[in-house]
Amino acid sequence: MGTIRVRFILVALAVSFFAVGMSAFLNYFKYKSTIGNIVKSRVLVVGRNIENSVQASLAIGMQFAELAQLPQVMSREKSSDRLVRGIDVFDTSGQVIYSTDRTRVGQKVPGPWIGAAERSKTTEWASDEGEDYVAGISLKNAFDLTVGYLALRYSREEVERAASVAGREILLAALGSFFGIAIVAPLALIVVIRRFERDLRTLEAAATHLEDRVEPAVPTGSAFDSSIGHLRASLRDANRSLDDLRAKLDSAA
Amino acid sequence: MAMLEKNYLWRIYWRLAGVIMVCVVIALAVVSYFSHRVFDRELVPETQQKAATVANSVRTLMLKAVGYGVPFNELYGVDQTFGDVFEENPEFNYAAVTDLDGQLLYYRGKEPQGAREYFRSPMILAVGLDPSATWKASKVGPQYFISMPIASDKPLGMLHIGIDSKFVDNVLLEVMLDVVVVLVVSLFFTLELLNFMAGARLASGLGEFAQQVERMRSGDFTATARIRANDEIGRLLRRIDAAIDHLNVRYEFLVGELDDKLRSALGARREALKPAMAALEGIRSRYRFGSAPTNAEGDEMNLNRIRAPLFAFILAEEMTRSYLPSYVNQLLVAIPGFSPQIVIGLPIMLFMLIVALGQPYLGSWSERVGRRRAMLIGASIATVGFAATALAFNLYDLLVWRGLGALGYAMVFVAAQGYVLDRTGQANRAQGFALFIGAIMVATVCGPSIGGILADNIGFRAAFGVSAVMAMLSLLTIARLPTIEVRAPAAKPSRGPRMREILALMVNKRFMTLTGLAAMPAKIILTGVCFYLVPLYIVSIGNTSAMAGRMLMVYAVMMVLIVPLSASLSDNSMRRDRYVSVGLIISGLSGLLLLLSDSFLVLFGVVFLLGLGQALSIAAQSALVAEHCQEEIRVYGHDAVYGVYRLLERLGNALGPLMASVLVVLWGYQGAFIAISALVLICGIAFTIATRGLEWQQTVAANP
Repeated sequence: MGTIRVRFILVALAVSFFAVGMSAFLNYFKYKSTIGNIVKSRVLVVGRNIENSVQASLAIGMQFAELAQLPQVMSREKSSDRLVRGIDVFDTSGQVIYSTDRTRVGQKVPGPWIGAAERSKTTEWASDEGEDYVAGISLKNAFDLTVGYLALRYSREEVERAASVAGREILLAALGSFFGIAIVAPLALIVVIRRFERDLRTLEAAATHLEDRVEPAVPTGSAFDSSIGHLRASLRDANRSLDDLRAKLDSAA
Repeated sequence: MAMLEKNYLWRIYWRLAGVIMVCVVIALAVVSYFSHRVFDRELVPETQQKAATVANSVRTLMLKAVGYGVPFNELYGVDQTFGDVFEENPEFNYAAVTDLDGQLLYYRGKEPQGAREYFRSPMILAVGLDPSATWKASKVGPQYFISMPIASDKPLGMLHIGIDSKFVDNVLLEVMLDVVVVLVVSLFFTLELLNFMAGARLASGLGEFAQQVERMRSGDFTATARIRANDEIGRLLRRIDAAIDHLNVRYEFLVGELDDKLRSALGARREALKPAMAALEGIRSRYRFGSAPTNAEGDEMNLNRIRAPLFAFILAEEMTRSYLPSYVNQLLVAIPGFSPQIVIGLPIMLFMLIVALGQPYLGSWSERVGRRRAMLIGASIATVGFAATALAFNLYDLLVWRGLGALGYAMVFVAAQGYVLDRTGQANRAQGFALFIGAIMVATVCGPSIGGILADNIGFRAAFGVSAVMAMLSLLTIARLPTIEVRAPAAKPSRGPRMREILALMVNKRFMTLTGLAAMPAKIILTGVCFYLVPLYIVSIGNTSAMAGRMLMVYAVMMVLIVPLSASLSDNSMRRDRYVSVGLIISGLSGLLLLLSDSFLVLFGVVFLLGLGQALSIAAQSALVAEHCQEEIRVYGHDAVYGVYRLLERLGNALGPLMASVLVVLWGYQGAFIAISALVLICGIAFTIATRGLEWQQTVAANP
């Protein structure tokens, strides 16, 4: 197999690898983000019920730090979806005021939670740093001022298990496609570059017989016919001149 | 011959690219088909789970009302609640409540065919009556349904939520847009790789073959001692070399024989050798034998070799265009006295400023240290810059790392430009720069779109990491450049413009008409709109960095398609000022489209028109400097005039993000688009009026 053909095939394989790889990558990440969003929005549905309860209490003049019924509501909502591992309500300084896990009350939430909550342009926020994923809601009073944040911790495995199953299948499809291309593309390329290779072979063959004294062969239809003709003519003329010199030298002997 | 070889190769490239693209499309279709199957199978149960959670919440609300004594079949606002549910969860498009007989009580959305039968089916009625049942998933017509019993102290009815079965298709449709981008990028990659892996050597081999044919036609049979590649073309060239060697040996032998005979011949014998001597004279006058001069063009003169390193390096930087402002936004720290919008623009501005100020002086530096070495140093610095940007702690260190990146970028850019200049003469300089600009253009098409996709999926930091890897790859290709520096012996060392030249030209009316009214505004709108406003505005209206990348791709594609056309048309018509005027006016009108609407389609129109306008004017602009500023070139020299022109043009690059950010603070994103465009429109009109004057002056001067 010619080295130029090998190079063309390598190009086809490199481009196919890039395209198929990117496509698999896009599909996998789209799947992961979609499933992540579905799960997050499912968790937030639970959170909305707690948010409504907090806002109703604040609306009737209760203090944010004195919502006695809130832990009970949070426990009930937590039990409504097995995905939710725990629910925390923390103030703007990051201190947990209410939690389904009593040991967490009074502790500070991780910094990225507050950062994510503050950066969010809507009332919803999320963070995927740490052991669990977190989906949250900014809790606002009737004057639209943020009084605290609600954080729903849910299992990272749920999302990652689904993503790994899909990822494996997408990877298999991509590998199959790539191997398919690895077989088909070289065959297709061989068909396409046949003419080019023929031209090169003609050129090479012509170059092999450049110094032959026989009359040049009939045109082959190659793109290089005229170049080969010029080459042969140049060499023939030069050789004739040298032949002439040889003859003159011989005749002088 | 050269044309034949060039067109011949391009025909082959396009055929090969066509075949590769067909294969790639088929492979992508296969991957998409299997992905769809996975999405369908995995996403539907998750969405049903979510629907159950939503249904549970709605059920709680209804039970609360029932608990207050409202009869189940007289609840108020149920359909409104369903409306809220649809708004928050667009994948749900039907919801209904039925009683224990399956009779419809409340509903919202388009009822799917067969729903009534489904509600009344014994299987569903049984679920409603079963106090231990949670929820049941079924498929009704084209929709997935979940049905949940509603019961207080006794069964009341059923709540049904319908999931649009097209939601999986919609998710995949979003991926398809990115896949189309991947296809376009793959096409450009194919052509670049064909050139890098096969074409560069093939083109240079065929070029050498063509040169050899021409040399031999002109009677030059001098032998070259060049090492040939072990491929088809290399073997061919070796055979030609062998034929030339044989001819040279024959010639040397005959000359030697004649010399010997002449030395020993006297009288009549010497007279008999005269025809041979005449024949040798004839041969010497028509042919040249011996060794070719050692400075003949070799592989170190191969311009094509700069394309791959330049493409890889510029691609690394271009990949960051679509998401850099969003990344800066994430690392933002409050700087007293500065609005966040201005702070977001700072890294872009700093980058452009370093490139603008550095380039005039880095040119002579790269000449001193060698182009290859300068590129290696520049790419190494940029690699560190990219990697450190990926790990940036906050805005302050990000500014330092972007500054490093800018320095590396300027070094590589200038050294690559110098590499082309060193290897081209008057005859092929335009061709050399076409290759240089071609590599940049292709990187501009591929970079922002791929960068945006990466940033969306793997995050900004990892995407910067990919740019670092790409810059590192460019290092490997730079290392393969010829180590021998080539420089024309007569060439003067280049220098940066001096301060007095800068000041003198900045108050020169003719020069500033072109620079201040055309070149700078063109760059201000380019960096202000494309590098700052588009990425931020698109994200601000709820879109992704990938979408910003696609938008920037539209701009780049316009440039790739229109610039060669407008360059040749403006050169042929010799009305370059008209092309600049029209280009500026179209660019100026682009942002004004946002006066009509702020829709996404209009934004597409803005970028499209901006690309068209810039493509029309960009090629003609620099040619106009030589055309309109002949007097200034005579006084200050070509290098100084073009140096100041480039410096001011690039300062326009730095001003763009600054102006855009201030305008965003004052009038918001739309206002900023409109204001920058209006400025460019005014400059375009002023340039048109001013150059009409120049035309008139020239006419008067020519016909006193």
